[in-house]
Amino acid sequence: MGQGSCSQEDSFDLLNQFEHVLDSDPLIDEVGFIHPSQFTLLDKEAGSSSDGTSPSFWNQDHKLGISSDILIQLCKAAKHAFLAALNEYKRHENASSESLTENISSGVSCCSLASKVMKHSQAVLLLSSDFGTAWNARKLILSKQNQHLEAFTDELRLSRLILSNSPKSEATWSHRRWIIKMISRSFSTPQEIITKESELVESIGERSKMNYRAWYHRCWLVSYMIIEQVIQELNKSKRWAGLHVADSSCFHYRRRLMLRVLESLKVKGSNANDKTEAHKIWMEELDWNKELVKRYLGREALWLHRRFLSLNWIMYFCRNQSSETGESIFMNKETGIFFDKEIHLLESSMTVPDNKFEDFQAQALHASVYILWLTKHIPELWRMLEEKLGTEKLKCVLDTVDQERPSLLLHQIDTFAAKQ
Amino acid sequence: MSSTSSSSLQMGELVADKHVRYILMAEKKKESFESVLMDHLRMNGAYWGLTTLALLDKLGSVSVDEVVSWLMTCQHESGGFAGNTGHDPHLLYTLSALQILALFDKLDILDVGKVSSYVACLQNEDGSFSGDMWGEVDTRFSYISICCLSILKCLDKINVKKAVDYIVSCKNRDGGFGCTPGAESHAGQSALAITGSLHHVDKDLLGWWLCERQVKSGGLNGRPEKLPDVCYSWWVLSSLIMIDRVHWIDKAKFVKFILNCQDLENGGISDRPNDAVDIYHTYFGVAGLSLLEYRGVQAIDPAYALPVDVINRIILNR
Repeated sequence: MGQGSCSQEDSFDLLNQFEHVLDSDPLIDEVGFIHPSQFTLLDKEAGSSSDGTSPSFWNQDHKLGISSDILIQLCKAAKHAFLAALNEYKRHENASSESLTENISSGVSCCSLASKVMKHSQAVLLLSSDFGTAWNARKLILSKQNQHLEAFTDELRLSRLILSNSPKSEATWSHRRWIIKMISRSFSTPQEIITKESELVESIGERSKMNYRAWYHRCWLVSYMIIEQVIQELNKSKRWAGLHVADSSCFHYRRRLMLRVLESLKVKGSNANDKTEAHKIWMEELDWNKELVKRYLGREALWLHRRFLSLNWIMYFCRNQSSETGESIFMNKETGIFFDKEIHLLESSMTVPDNKFEDFQAQALHASVYILWLTKHIPELWRMLEEKLGTEKLKCVLDTVDQERPSLLLHQIDTFAAKQ
Repeated sequence: MSSTSSSSLQMGELVADKHVRYILMAEKKKESFESVLMDHLRMNGAYWGLTTLALLDKLGSVSVDEVVSWLMTCQHESGGFAGNTGHDPHLLYTLSALQILALFDKLDILDVGKVSSYVACLQNEDGSFSGDMWGEVDTRFSYISICCLSILKCLDKINVKKAVDYIVSCKNRDGGFGCTPGAESHAGQSALAITGSLHHVDKDLLGWWLCERQVKSGGLNGRPEKLPDVCYSWWVLSSLIMIDRVHWIDKAKFVKFILNCQDLENGGISDRPNDAVDIYHTYFGVAGLSLLEYRGVQAIDPAYALPVDVINRIILNR
């Protein structure tokens, strides 16, 4: 590839070229690293003829392709330029903070030094999105003076662009959170920004499945949402969740939203209407989850979601009003009715008509583990399970678990031995 | 090496020498793709590589002076360490730096007060820790801070009770811990172990969630419905050991899985069989085998992620 033979001049030429492309098309919304052989193909698809002069960058329809051939060279040049600019900027900052006289020319050069840092850091981050020092430099500059909201929204646009190529970049997501914090500090947090962030995660989640960083970001947003928005989010994201039943991060997000609904009930000023609404939301989620569980056999994420739903249903919505009667606060008529239905669900999931399909076996396993998990949290349910299932069916459930996850039964034995 | 020599190897053996060679060569290859794009986390890479060498009893193959002098150029005036020379400091790299110095028994070259102050200053009002001055909070940073100060024997510089309370507030109903309250479960129990607050953990519940990470192939995943990945051998396994539930997974199957992730020709370990290798997964694979007491691998401490004899040395000194 002959990279070793490239001069420093060549490298900086390349960097200039890169930065020029970025400058000339501020609406670039997608960037990617492309093998050089793909360039002609891209040109063909775009209907343009390649003039063969710039095999390093491809820019059409606001998309930017960077040849993988020049990546290392470009990255080194960008880092070098960035660090040099940053050091110069810091030196200047230190010097001017020490001098007492207002110096207009130093103000001007300070601005141009800052914009140099911004320009080079942008280049670096497009190539190496986790380079924290570059993000920090931008934070440093943005923290100064009174920035317009625009400066922050521009920053959101840049990080969105970077995420198009590096959707898992922790530093990029973290930077977005910093920007949102800054926005909410100096301006009010428009609901719109939160909504857009949420939508961004969903669109990234489409291409980058179970992306922890993306979904974590979405969960983080929940603490900035008013309760109406929380409920809206639950409704809006339902369809996507139904199409991605194996995405456990997506269901975790729903749990986060639902917990927030629960939390709002414990706050002073919450009324009966709120509780009715929460009750309705919970029931709907339970019913919808049951539908999905029956339709998509053996999906772990769905059964895990049910664990959360059922446990909270029993512990929060079924509980006796007063816990002073001496009997368990969870064992009442409502719990009985609910758990009865869960046992029916378990029984229908235990039917394994065909040993060839793993899904049936997985379904039986998940259902069995689910019911055991509930009895682990609420030991009083075990007796009910014994009574309703009968010895034979119960043994079948335990055997199913024993085959795949024998260790989950170990502590069960201890628990029940202790009770005898 | 010809292919016949690799196929004549017994199915399921750790090709330790190949891994050592892989690591030593990677340290030298500064111009490689991986190296250039990852040079901001060189400190972490160094820790992974060096600890693996230590576990395979080959730490002597590197030049201590070379590593340590480079390492010290990464120290920032605030006392914290950066991922590489001239970069910004962060807790992540500070821990790796301390761990590397511990491996070489060179902790005494540090200005302990300076480093510990950097770490202690990152504790927030609610007991949580930020990764650096820019404020991102995560229970990983709690673990890292506690680990750092524990190695430096300055735990009293932070509010330990608040730190523990914060981690506990990140406990989820499924038994696992998230990176902030309400986040999806990941790993934070190491911190609790070090501070001796393991009683805050519901061991059965956590053990349940952890052992459900083992999939049919014997490997461990990090979250439900995900593919197994060798790096989870560390997180899941070390947690299970600390809560005395390691017998809840099928150890033999897991060992087999890790061994299948090796590149038998060129050395190195990948995230799952037949993928490309890297230093990160090589370290976690070997560390996982160490936790499972694999023959020929030195014992590693599950809380500190350092060889047991290194930890003993720290505890017994001063």
